[in-house]
Amino acid sequence: MKKTNDVILQTVTKIISFIIILFSIHLFFAGHYTPGGGFIGGLMTAAALVLLLLSYDIKTMNKILPFDYKRMTAIGLLIAVLTAAGALLFNVPFFTHAYDYFDIPLLGETSLHTAVLFDIGVYLVVIGITMTIIQTIGESE
Amino acid sequence: MAFQLLLNFFLAFLWMFMAGTFNLANFIIGYFLGMLVIFGMRRFLSGRFYMGKIVAIIKLTLMFVWELIKANFEVLLIVLKPKMDMKPGIFKYDTELKKDWEITLLSLLITLTPGTLVMDVSDDNETLYIHALNIPDVNQAVSSIKDGFEKAIMEVSR
Repeated sequence: MKKTNDVILQTVTKIISFIIILFSIHLFFAGHYTPGGGFIGGLMTAAALVLLLLSYDIKTMNKILPFDYKRMTAIGLLIAVLTAAGALLFNVPFFTHAYDYFDIPLLGETSLHTAVLFDIGVYLVVIGITMTIIQTIGESE
Repeated sequence: MAFQLLLNFFLAFLWMFMAGTFNLANFIIGYFLGMLVIFGMRRFLSGRFYMGKIVAIIKLTLMFVWELIKANFEVLLIVLKPKMDMKPGIFKYDTELKKDWEITLLSLLITLTPGTLVMDVSDDNETLYIHALNIPDVNQAVSSIKDGFEKAIMEVSR
């Protein structure tokens, strides 16, 4: 089987993948007030990485993004657990979240919530698991 | 092109800092003044004046919209004809474009105008294989693409 010329697919992927990743970040931060959040943001980022995998190959992909996705899953779980356990330091029950309003330049008055940290954990776990599944299926010839 | 655009933005910001008021109106004024300065100094910079390239991009877009409308009506006529007297076929098209994005843009423009469809690109990126819905004359189809889209894309990347 001769390899076909994928010039069109690869050139389009170069542009589209950035747009998908930016949209996934938007979804991640939209999760508090509007539909979105860590899970769907992580899936969308993983979708961009899968698009890269489709138009290039696993070797190139590992060169572009040298992540160990199993380790990424572990780090995500660690962040989520530490966020939940941090409440114990303040003598409140496990998983109690804290939030406050801060005056940030450019954004104005913004509420910073510890749920964001938990969501970052979810985000990393979703990316790690999705990419691990797809790469292990793809590598087993 | 990219350098001139960056320089223009830098000059616009510089104008805002000199004027001391930071709003959109002042930025636009600074941008126009910077454009005038760059136009005056265009022989000093490499490449051509970047507004020419932007005009070429707008021309290409308008041309694509016009071709899209025209070609859709042609396909409509073919569909509504009671007699099937069209001549489908696949022809080779040797492109003069070199860069990846130029070839991709040309292929997508050809594919999006109904009646023609890019099937494959050769390994050396020099030949496109195009399927056409109705080609009574191959040379005419080739020359219409050459004078149309390819010329416009070359105008952009010149």
